[in-house]
Amino acid sequence: MTRVLVVDDHEAMRRGLETVLAATPDLIPVGTGSSEGDLWHLLKRVAPDVVVLDYHLPGQDGLMLCHRIKSLTLPPAVLIYSAYADESLEIAATVAGADGVLNKSAPANDLFAAIRSVAASEPTLRRPTPSALTAAAEKLDAEERPLLGMLIQRTPVPEVADALGLPLDEAADRIRAVIGRLRVRVPAGS
Amino acid sequence: MPPSRWFGLFLITRATGALVVPPLLLVDHLDGNEFVLAGVALGYSAASAGVLARWPALQQSRSLWVADCAVLLSLVLAYGEWRSPFYLLALSSLVLPATGLSLRGAVAFGGGFVAAYLGVALLVGVDWASISTTARMQSFGALLLVPLVVTVALAFASDLLRRLERERQVAERLALEAERQRIAWELHDSAKQRIHAAHLLLSAVADAGPASRSLELAVEELRAAIEDMDTSLRDLREPLFDGGSLGAALRQWAERLQAGSDVRIEVVGDAPTLPAFTAAQAYRIGREALTNAVRHASASHAEVVLDVSGERLSLLVSDDGEGLPAEVRAGANGLASMQHRAEALGAELDVVTRPGGRGTIVALDAPLVEAAHV
Repeated sequence: MTRVLVVDDHEAMRRGLETVLAATPDLIPVGTGSSEGDLWHLLKRVAPDVVVLDYHLPGQDGLMLCHRIKSLTLPPAVLIYSAYADESLEIAATVAGADGVLNKSAPANDLFAAIRSVAASEPTLRRPTPSALTAAAEKLDAEERPLLGMLIQRTPVPEVADALGLPLDEAADRIRAVIGRLRVRVPAGS
Repeated sequence: MPPSRWFGLFLITRATGALVVPPLLLVDHLDGNEFVLAGVALGYSAASAGVLARWPALQQSRSLWVADCAVLLSLVLAYGEWRSPFYLLALSSLVLPATGLSLRGAVAFGGGFVAAYLGVALLVGVDWASISTTARMQSFGALLLVPLVVTVALAFASDLLRRLERERQVAERLALEAERQRIAWELHDSAKQRIHAAHLLLSAVADAGPASRSLELAVEELRAAIEDMDTSLRDLREPLFDGGSLGAALRQWAERLQAGSDVRIEVVGDAPTLPAFTAAQAYRIGREALTNAVRHASASHAEVVLDVSGERLSLLVSDDGEGLPAEVRAGANGLASMQHRAEALGAELDVVTRPGGRGTIVALDAPLVEAAHV
């Protein structure tokens, strides 16, 4: 049984997700929220195994939220759910510590499969192609590139801090800066 | 104010200048020589107006402006006195340069006119003894300064109107851009999310068990709708054509298409100043036509011919590709979107396979009336 929390600012999506999840025996929708406030509130109350997180919440960036969720002790798995899922988003999501990225146009079966995979800690994000990785590296300063390299390999944040010889919170600051630069610009919603 | 309006002002001043000549000469006791001069003045005025009306491009010819001034000032010279009935007529030669040049250029032209008039006055002789009386000095001074004042005033007005026109165009473009962004945002934020949700819900039912054919079709349709919407959103988010030269913009697009392919594209002619909306739509039509020629018709050569004449824009794109397909590709809405753009302009758009089946011709004929988009 996998407990799923849905955070999406579009009501139609929330209702749709809740309905299809409720009809699936092994997935339990334990809550839906539309904002960052809802997310933190529900995370404490319902202890989900997986958070299905809209990439772009009003006034909030899904990747930054994802990074903060993943900084919790014993974080849930995070599936970034976006209307624009391409390779550059997958790289940024990997850096943010997301467990998976799914396009909103995927049929329900793909969604269920993705939720089950991230819940089982199976890798769902593709290895980035060299060209996409180069494009991502070009958005960064030279001293940020080693960070990208380590995070793409899914190195845990404490180990990254160790490797850089930085205190944990400073390493986290740098990671957030990298996420900010890798962010895929979407004009509105997602 | 478009040049044609300034030409209207020119016609009025020239007619007035010419028509006051005979009465002034009569007051001055017309003799045989002056009778000829009056005839020349009237004939020249009518001829110059006629020629400039027939060939509007000449209205902006600098050498013609100078020649016009020279002819009229030589009438003053021939009359033989600086207080000449032909003076007013000579002033009419300042209208087109003052409104056609930049402010600085216009002042220079006006200064040149004053210098030339002073030269004429010196040639015919200025009676300095009589000029020392206040009234005469004032009138000589006024005749010297009036051309400068007229030129500066006209140049200032024309400059102001040009600025206003530019600002109006910028405002129009910004409004269009804002409206496009709003539509894109609404499509994305509302309609598209609902379609995503509907697709998810129906696909859950379809995946759960043996689905009916109509359910499968509904899921397929929703998926196609999402793709259509993505295409429209990409379109809306692409910055509008910035209102510069249509020819230059299409040349740029042609270069992009030519990069990495063997196709040759030529862009002939230009349409420099178009209303922003017309330029933007014509650009997208031309762009789509070229893209189709290269991507779908495998053309090796394409040509764009641009022409503006008689308040109409003509855009012709021809290629040597495979011509129009017998059946429309699934998911293709390029032709329909071109047709919609043409309709928005109140324009005629013909897309036909060339006689003989080699290649396609896309012909747009659009009116240049601002109110075309409603």
